[in-house]
Amino acid sequence: MHGMGGPRHILAQETSKPTEVRATLGRLARQFGPFWPALLVVLGLVLGSTYVQVLTPELIGQSVDCYLTPAAMSRFASGAAASLAPAAGQPQGMTGRSAADSSCWFSSSAFGGGALPATASTSDFVAGLGRLVLLLIVLYILGSAMNGLVFYLMAWAGQHVLRDLRVKVFRHLHRLSLSYYAENEAGAVMSRITNDMDTIQQAISFVLVNVASGVLLIIWIAATMLRMNTAYALISMSVVPLMIVTTAWFSGQARRAFRRTRVAIGAVNADLQEGIAGVREVQAFGREGANIENFRQANAANRDANIRAVSFTAALAPSLEALGYLAIAITTIMGGVLLLRGQALFGTAVSLGLVITFLQYVQRFNMPIQQISVMWTNLQSAVAGAERIFGLLDTQPSVQDRPDAQAMPPIVGRVEFDRVYAAYKQEERVLCDVSFVAEPGQTVAIVGPTGAGKTTIINLIPRFYDVVAGAVRIDSLDVRDVTAADLRRQIGIVLQDTFLFSDTVLNNIRFGRPEATDEEVRAAARLAHADEFIQRLPDGYNTMLGERGSGLSQGQRQLVAIARAALANPSILILDEATSSVDTRTERQIQRALDALLEDRTSFVIAHRLSTIRNADQVLVLVDGEIVERGRHDELLARRGAYHELYMKQFRREEGSPAQPGGDGREPAALPLPVAQHARS
Amino acid sequence: MRNLGRGIRYLGRHRNTTLIAYLALFISVGAQLMVPQLVQRIIDAITNGVTAQSVLAAPAAFRAQALAALGWNAEQALLHRDGAETALISAGLLILAFAIARGLFAFTQSYMGERVSQSIAFDFRNELFAKIQRLSFSYHDRNQTGQLMIRATDDVEKVRMFIGQGLLMTTQAVVLLVVALLMLLLTNVRLMLVILPVLPLAFIMFMGFGRMTQPMFMKVQIKLSRLNTILQENLAGIKVVKAFVREPEQQARFTASAEDLMQQQIQVSRVFSFVFPVVFLLANLGQAAVYYFGGQQIIGGTLTFGEWQKFSLYLAYVFFPLGMLGMIISQMSQAAASAQRIFEILDAPNDVADRPGATDLPAVRGRVAFEEVTFSYFGSGEPVLRDVSFVAEPGQTVALLGATGSGKSSIINLIPRFYDPTRGRVTIDGQDVRDVRLESLRGQIGTVLQDTTLFTGTIRDNIAFGRPDATLEDVVAAAKAAAAHEFILEFAQGYDTPVGERGTTLSGGQKQRIAIARALLLNPRILILDDSTSSVDAVTEYQIQQALSLLMRGRTSFVIAQRISTVRNADLILVLDRGRVAAHGTHDDLMENSSIYAEIFASQLVEDAPADERAPHPTRGTRPVFDDDGRKGLAEASRSAARSSASIR
Repeated sequence: MHGMGGPRHILAQETSKPTEVRATLGRLARQFGPFWPALLVVLGLVLGSTYVQVLTPELIGQSVDCYLTPAAMSRFASGAAASLAPAAGQPQGMTGRSAADSSCWFSSSAFGGGALPATASTSDFVAGLGRLVLLLIVLYILGSAMNGLVFYLMAWAGQHVLRDLRVKVFRHLHRLSLSYYAENEAGAVMSRITNDMDTIQQAISFVLVNVASGVLLIIWIAATMLRMNTAYALISMSVVPLMIVTTAWFSGQARRAFRRTRVAIGAVNADLQEGIAGVREVQAFGREGANIENFRQANAANRDANIRAVSFTAALAPSLEALGYLAIAITTIMGGVLLLRGQALFGTAVSLGLVITFLQYVQRFNMPIQQISVMWTNLQSAVAGAERIFGLLDTQPSVQDRPDAQAMPPIVGRVEFDRVYAAYKQEERVLCDVSFVAEPGQTVAIVGPTGAGKTTIINLIPRFYDVVAGAVRIDSLDVRDVTAADLRRQIGIVLQDTFLFSDTVLNNIRFGRPEATDEEVRAAARLAHADEFIQRLPDGYNTMLGERGSGLSQGQRQLVAIARAALANPSILILDEATSSVDTRTERQIQRALDALLEDRTSFVIAHRLSTIRNADQVLVLVDGEIVERGRHDELLARRGAYHELYMKQFRREEGSPAQPGGDGREPAALPLPVAQHARS
Repeated sequence: MRNLGRGIRYLGRHRNTTLIAYLALFISVGAQLMVPQLVQRIIDAITNGVTAQSVLAAPAAFRAQALAALGWNAEQALLHRDGAETALISAGLLILAFAIARGLFAFTQSYMGERVSQSIAFDFRNELFAKIQRLSFSYHDRNQTGQLMIRATDDVEKVRMFIGQGLLMTTQAVVLLVVALLMLLLTNVRLMLVILPVLPLAFIMFMGFGRMTQPMFMKVQIKLSRLNTILQENLAGIKVVKAFVREPEQQARFTASAEDLMQQQIQVSRVFSFVFPVVFLLANLGQAAVYYFGGQQIIGGTLTFGEWQKFSLYLAYVFFPLGMLGMIISQMSQAAASAQRIFEILDAPNDVADRPGATDLPAVRGRVAFEEVTFSYFGSGEPVLRDVSFVAEPGQTVALLGATGSGKSSIINLIPRFYDPTRGRVTIDGQDVRDVRLESLRGQIGTVLQDTTLFTGTIRDNIAFGRPDATLEDVVAAAKAAAAHEFILEFAQGYDTPVGERGTTLSGGQKQRIAIARALLLNPRILILDDSTSSVDAVTEYQIQQALSLLMRGRTSFVIAQRISTVRNADLILVLDRGRVAAHGTHDDLMENSSIYAEIFASQLVEDAPADERAPHPTRGTRPVFDDDGRKGLAEASRSAARSSASIR
């Protein structure tokens, strides 16, 4: 049923070993809490269906001993029944069970207990057999129904657990602070979650039940066989330990070999990805041939690793099968010898029915052993996956609302940084003793070289991070004393790396304020000068955007983001000016849209345009986490300090030699810009 | 199906392995089919032996009667009694022998089968990769990296599975089915007729199951990817979500999607939980029929115990291949679809290829001429260049200016013949670029893109990308000239630092300098570059600027200009407007005569971006380079490549 290479597929999965198996399993089990009635039913059903599986071979054995053997005997013994009495020393095997033996279920009522008497007619035997087979059919139907129900209930409960876990994880991802995302790449988080969920899903809907019922079946069958005939059972089952050892060895080897194949296929995929994504450069440099040869090598390594790995899995099934046949051979040979020699061997006797029952039993060991070995790997990676998921759920967000946090009243717009220190990690210092005040309606431009801490400043205002020391206050309220949701709702942000969702343009703008009417959305778009191009899109406002807003040009994406912020109508605006060049017309539209947006709001701009800086009420020059200069553009330029230098380097680089590093006394050259260092060196 | 047939022909390349696999298959199935036969022999030996024992032990009068009833003579009875143990042990040993043979050949079969299937995957992947590497830019404009990746991974896997293993399985299933049915028939016709109706029923169920679940699985996949899109967007856009306080809406959206997925999964399980038990039930009912009707025959004396067990075993062999065939048939259509997609790529015509009889371009002096070139990306589409003519003399610098979509990158794409013009011609030293061998043409043109893809390997490998045989001295010299030497030495492993997918991440500015070094090492006569450096800080920008001007010295250079200095120093400025050359000349000429130029100069160049704080990161500042005409180009490709490793900060 597992078709092609089912086991090897599972063996090929990532198998990282979990560290706290018991705790994780316990916690995973607790997820099933709400579904305990279903699980209880499953438990009952598994017991029931296992019982059926143990019972049916016994019934078949009974059919042989109670009806078929006596009937066959009676054919040649008819008329001479009396002489063929047990007293004649007849081997017990062929008469099947003695009259006193109550294990012939369908004879007792009709014939006063025990097996059919030798005088019974052919039709009596057939009738008895019929009743037995009828019971068998009922059991088969019951067993199938129970199996189906188990499968369904487990899938049902498992899927519910999975959904709950997914939603829990998703909510938690929202709660986590940006510092978490600064340390963990989105792509990595994404693939970890999806992979882990995948292994958990497989485990909780199939593997768990399969392993549990497989183990149960093996134990139950073994116990039944031992109860029926201990010596014969021990001989028949002698192969089972061999099966287990073989399976364990091959699976271990295969697991290791498949780990190597993952590395190999990873290399192939990396080559593919690079070769395709970089095809233009490959062709530009005429590297097609060399690339193809490289790929060929990675590809060959992958082929060989796979062939090597498969030699183990390819050997597992045939080995188990051969062992299975060995078990059959041992069971039949020993059964036959015991039958022929009577009690002579081991002081035990068997019937033909028992031999046939045992024959069926030993064949049933094969499947669960193979399954368990495969599922074990799966279970292991699922537990490891669950461990990671729980670890994620246990990660505490570094920014949380205080228990007594109050709602943020409508913001007037006075923003104050009071001796703020900030750091992303313990040892590093991103902002150092930063203080400034932005009065309502003012525009603050923040300039400085890479890594100076500009982004950090704007991240602190909506409290994406918490300060290490000092305070950020809005209208005299510390941002840590109000609820983050209330605070952020009144702050608008336009990032330079515009992020749009794969949704309609309308909904993307409406993201700023979900309850806005279509008309309000349009008004915001008009304000952002986006209306014009949106109208020209194939479906206007209802045009579906691709992943991350693909389908729009970079400039258009920026306009949509501005409209989004405009719709939110925030009291404070934070703007990370885009530097990527767009064509002149779009550039001007963006500029006008931003101007409209900045009007009458307290605004913080990471400035990349001279015009923005010129119009700002305040320019903060940031170097290495400190404000080295502040003031208006003209003042700062006149001061011939750090700003002047920055200006000379960055804005008028083409004009000539850099100016002398300034020393106006206030911010001496002791804090030179990296640019200045370079210029002097 | 035709494509699948074509795929199957790949087996011919691995004829010996394939033959061994199939040979092993027949032997192992044969051995497997022998086992019930032997079980029968054992059981019959036992029953006969025991019967003979009891008959021979009985009183003489009864003995004769019983022997008559059994149809034995006294000798036979003795033989049955005394030979029973030997017969049963020899049959048991035979089972073992067949089991070992079965094991060995089954192993050979699946090992060789895997060899074949892996070899076929190897062939397909190689052919695909080679084809993809050589397909022209226009093909890559139309096809996304992700799509092509899937062809070379998932589709190859599906075809491999089917051709390498599915066919073997099918053969095995058919042989097993036919022989087992034959054995059933030979064992007992009446019993065979009883269970016959069950077989097509089981087969139909398996087939129907495959048909039914496949679309359901597809729905699961779609819903799962929808869910993952929401997750992905919320991870990548976490800052936006938080800034606009949209957590509740997004959570509701995610929950709804998760619920939707769950319902679909449960629906699939419902089908599974019905079909599998029913099929097993059918198999069991077949066995029950054998027990009853076979038992009846035993009682009637027309069937032996051994035959009865044999029949039951062969019946089990019948159900197994039925299930397998049902599954394989549903896989076959998938494999056929995959094969079609693979051959679509392998058969795709390459519109930029060497002409028959193309010659090598001799060492270039560097005169590049466009003669009334009209060009559109998709044959019939709106032209992005119209009647463009100009001449660049050896050593000249040509600056290209214009708005997005004006055709700047189309011009630079036509020189190394990444595309062919629709009308007109592009010549180098008077020779039409279409008349020379691509390799010799592109080998003499250096390209520096703003957005550089680094390939897996060391820094040295990447600098020597265009000249793999370059010595370390050459590489270092190039790196020094490109202002890259210093930062390279800062890495612990220096030039041997691994980069690319799995190596050290370089900043945008570092990558750019590697790209410049790479082009320098090539020492080309013709240079194509984008002088924009938007993703780096001021220091780096300055350094890159210096390196670029060094690079351009003495070469015919085409520059998509962002900088005043570039434009000022250019020997020829082409101002493009909607595919036409709106103005051309030197800076001074144009300042005087061209209003468009003056406008662009003022708006695009004067307020050049100052160095900014953006983290040097591949996802940032990806300005279209080859694709300012709105086509999907390198920038998009590398952006999507970088997307997988996008960071939030």
